[in-house]
Amino acid sequence: MREPSVPELASSIRSPLLQVEALSKSFPGVRALDEVSLEVFSGEVVAVVGHNGSGKSTLVKVLAGLYEPDPGGQVFARTAEGAIVQGSEARDALHIIHQDLGLIGNLSTIENLDLGRRHGLRSLLPAPSRDERRRASELVAQFGASFDVRAPIASLPPAARTVVAIARALDGWTRPDNMLILDEPTATLRGEEVALLFGAVRRTAKGGAGVIFISHRLDEVVNLADRVLVLRDGRLVAALEAGEYDHETLVNLITGGAAGSAAAVEHKILDDPVLRVRGLSGETVVRADLDIRPGEIVGVSGVVGSGREAIGGLIFGALRRTSGEVELGDRSLPPGRLRAAIAAGVGYVPADRHSAGAVMSFSVRENVTLPQLRPLRRRLGRLDLRQERREAISWLGRVGLRPLVPERALSLFSGGNQQKAVLAKWLRNEPRLLLLDEPTQGVDVGAKASIYELVVGAAGRGAAVLISSSDTEELLSICNRVLVFREGEVVATLEGEDLTDHRLVMESLGLGRAGAEIVFGDTEDC
Amino acid sequence: MSSDVKRAFGPGSVELATSVHDSEPPARPWHQSVRLALSFRNISAIYIFLVLFVLFSLWVPETFLQWDTWHSLLATQALVALVAIGLVPALAAGVFNLAIGAQVGFGSILVAWFLAKQGLGVAPAIALTVVAGTVIGVGSGLVITRFRIDSFIATLGISSVLLAMIQWIANSQQIVDLGESFQRIATNEVLGLTLPVWFMLAVGLLLWYVLERTPLGRRLYATGGNPEAARLAGVPVPAMVVLSLAICGAIATAAGILQSAQVGTGDPTVGPGFLLPAFAAAFLGSTQFRGGRYNIWGTVVAVYVLATGVKGLQLAGAPVWIPDLFNGIALLIAVGMSRIEATSIRSRAISRMIRRPGSGATTRAEENTSN
Repeated sequence: MREPSVPELASSIRSPLLQVEALSKSFPGVRALDEVSLEVFSGEVVAVVGHNGSGKSTLVKVLAGLYEPDPGGQVFARTAEGAIVQGSEARDALHIIHQDLGLIGNLSTIENLDLGRRHGLRSLLPAPSRDERRRASELVAQFGASFDVRAPIASLPPAARTVVAIARALDGWTRPDNMLILDEPTATLRGEEVALLFGAVRRTAKGGAGVIFISHRLDEVVNLADRVLVLRDGRLVAALEAGEYDHETLVNLITGGAAGSAAAVEHKILDDPVLRVRGLSGETVVRADLDIRPGEIVGVSGVVGSGREAIGGLIFGALRRTSGEVELGDRSLPPGRLRAAIAAGVGYVPADRHSAGAVMSFSVRENVTLPQLRPLRRRLGRLDLRQERREAISWLGRVGLRPLVPERALSLFSGGNQQKAVLAKWLRNEPRLLLLDEPTQGVDVGAKASIYELVVGAAGRGAAVLISSSDTEELLSICNRVLVFREGEVVATLEGEDLTDHRLVMESLGLGRAGAEIVFGDTEDC
Repeated sequence: MSSDVKRAFGPGSVELATSVHDSEPPARPWHQSVRLALSFRNISAIYIFLVLFVLFSLWVPETFLQWDTWHSLLATQALVALVAIGLVPALAAGVFNLAIGAQVGFGSILVAWFLAKQGLGVAPAIALTVVAGTVIGVGSGLVITRFRIDSFIATLGISSVLLAMIQWIANSQQIVDLGESFQRIATNEVLGLTLPVWFMLAVGLLLWYVLERTPLGRRLYATGGNPEAARLAGVPVPAMVVLSLAICGAIATAAGILQSAQVGTGDPTVGPGFLLPAFAAAFLGSTQFRGGRYNIWGTVVAVYVLATGVKGLQLAGAPVWIPDLFNGIALLIAVGMSRIEATSIRSRAISRMIRRPGSGATTRAEENTSN
C-alpha cells in the first residue's frame, strides 16, 4: 500500500473521520447527553470543554461503547481501509485513551506496547528484546520523548506514561488518518509535562489523525485546539473555530453566563464554634486551624494533593494524625477512636462510596443502622428487627430513597440513591458535625439537588458541616464560607463577595488575582 | 397483578415520601413471601435432597431406607457439620481459616494427651483443650490484624505449625486408653440421637442467634462485607477478626475432642481431612436461605445433603473415590449457579432502571426479588 502524504489526504478526502449525529444518553432522571452532533476531520484537534457533569465523560463513554446510546443517535467512523462504518464497528475504529491510561504499572514500556499486539503462537518464543527495545525507543522518540523503555511504567513521570499510552494507541495504524480521543489527559500533569504531551498530540494531528481532546483546563484548549466544542447540561451549546474565542467567551459559554454565588442557607448560625481544630497535621495536611459554628456549612477547596481530600478523615480520626487537637463541643476527639467520634455526633461520608462509604452487599436497612445499633438492642443482646425496619424506612423516606425498598442490597441502587442511603445513616445519628468528602460524586443532577437539601436541612437543625469538594459550583451554591487549601495549608478563606468561581480557582492554584490559568474542577464525574 | 400496579404508585414517590415516616410500606403479601421462601434459588439444597432421597429410595431401597443408615449418617456427619458451623463466623467476617483442619487435629490429640499421658480427669482435660483452641484462634487473629498478613497466608502458616505440634505431642503415634467415661460423651444417646448431634445443633442455634439476631453478628457481617466501610461506621474491625477466629478455634478443638471420643483414640492424622468438607459445606451453605451470605442452617443442610448423596452412592456400590468427586462437582455447580443468578439480578435491575428514564426510580421493586 502506498502511504499517502498529509497534504494529499487533507485535500483528497474531505469526508470526516468521525461523524456523530444526534447522540443522546439518558440515565434515570437525567439526560446526560442531549442530541449532540459533531464531526472531526483529518489533521485537526477538536477540544471538548464543559463543567463537571456537562456530559463530557458521558460522550467519551458512549463513543467507547461503555454506555449504550439512546436509540436514534448515529456514530459513523472511517476505518483504516477507508470504509465508512457505524455502530459497534465504528467504535473499533476509534482509539481512546482514558484518564487512567489503561497501562499496567509494573510492566515496562516495551511490555505495555506489546500487550496490544497479536502474536499467535509466536508469543511462546522468547521476545527479540534488542529489536523490541529499539522499536519502543523509536516510537516514543516520535513524540519527542526519551526515557528508559525498560523501566516499569509506574516509575515514569506522568507525562511519559501518557506518551506511552498514545504510542500504544497509534502503534500499528496502517494509515495515519485515524481517530484519537484523549479523555482528560492532563489532569495529573504539571506545566512542562503538559508541553511534552501537547507536542505529541500536535505531531499526531499533523500526521493526519483527527484528535478529540477532552479537558476542563481552558488555557490548554486555547493553546492547542483548532476547534472548541462547548457542552453544557448535555447539550452542545457552541462550536467555535480558532480565533473566535478567548478565555472570557469560553467561561461564559461553559457557565451559561451565571455568576454563581448564592448561598442557600437562610437559617440562623450560632456564634460559638462547635468544632475547633488546632494545628492539625497528617497525610497531606500541615498545621490546619479551623472553626465551624453550628448551622454553618464550610467548604474546602484545593487541587488534588492540597490536603482537601484528607481534612475530613483527619478530623474524624480515620486517618493518622501526626499532631493537632480536635474538639467537638466540650469533648476532644482523639485519633483512631471512631466509635467515640460517632457517639460524640460526628458523621463522615468518604469520597469513595464503594470502597469506604457503605457495605454494598448489605441491604439499605442494615447500612442505615450500622453506626448506631445500641438503641436497637434488647434483652440478651437481641436486635429489635421490627424497630430497626421501622427506623430505616422512616429515614429512607426522609431522604427520598427511590424505590423505598429497605431490604434490597445497596449495590442494586443508582449512585444517587446509594449516596442518599449513606446520608440517611449519618442523619439518623443526629450529627453535630457532618464531614462530607465529594458528597455528589457519581450522582445524577436530580439526586444532587436533594442531597444539597438534606445537607442544608441538617445544618438548619444545628449541625456543623464541612464539605470537601472538587466541584467549585457545588461549593459556591451551598457553602457559607470556603477554605482554600494549598500544599496542606489553609491559604485563604472566602466568603460573601469574595466567594466566586474565579477567586476559588486563583487561590487554589496560587495565582493571586493576576494569573491567566483557569481550571474547572480537578476530577470529572459522570 | 393489580397489587403490583398499586405498589408501583405506593411509597416510592417523592410527594408521598414525607408522609410515610411513621407508617410502614405495605408488607409483601403472604403468597409472595411463601413463593419467595420456597423458590429454587432460596432452598435449592432441599430440593436436591428430595431428588436424591427419591432416587436412592428407588435404587437401593433395602439399605437406603433403613433407620440405621440415617442414624449413623447423622452421627458421623455431626462433626463435619460442627466444624463447618465453626467456619461461618470467620467467613462472615471475611477471614479464611485454613488452619481449621489442623485445629481439629490439635484438639483431638491434645485431649488424648491430657487424659492418657497426664492423667487428667475428663472435665479438666476437655476444658483445657478448648481453652488452648481458643488461644490459638486469638493468636491467629492477632497475627492477621497486628502484622496485617492476609488471613489465607497467616492461617496456612499456623496450620503447618499446628500439624508439627500434633506430631510432637503424639510422638507420631496414636494415643490409646482414653477411658470409658470419655468415650461416652460421643456415644451416649438422647432421644435416639448421639450427643455430638445435639451438641452440634446447640452450637448452631447459639451461633445463629449471635449472627442473625444481635448487633455483634451485624458487625461481623459488616466486617466481611467491607472492612473499611465497617471501620468508618465505628465497627472495631480487628476485634471482630480476632473474635471470629477465637470462636472458630474453640469449636474446632471441641470437634477434635468429640472425634477422639468417638473412635476412642487420639489419632495424629485426623485433622486435615475436615478442611475441605467443612469449607465446601460453608460455601454451599452460603447459597441457601440468605441469598449469598454465609449462614449456619444453610451450612448444616449442605453438610447433610452432600452426605446423603455420598451415602446413597456408596450403598449403590460406587467406588471409593466417588465421595470426593461428588462433593467437588456439587460445590462447583451450586456456587457457579448462584454467581450467575446474582449477575442476572443486577443486570435485570439496571435494565429496568434504564428502560424507564424519569419515572424509573419508582419501580416495582418486589418483582425482581420474587422471580
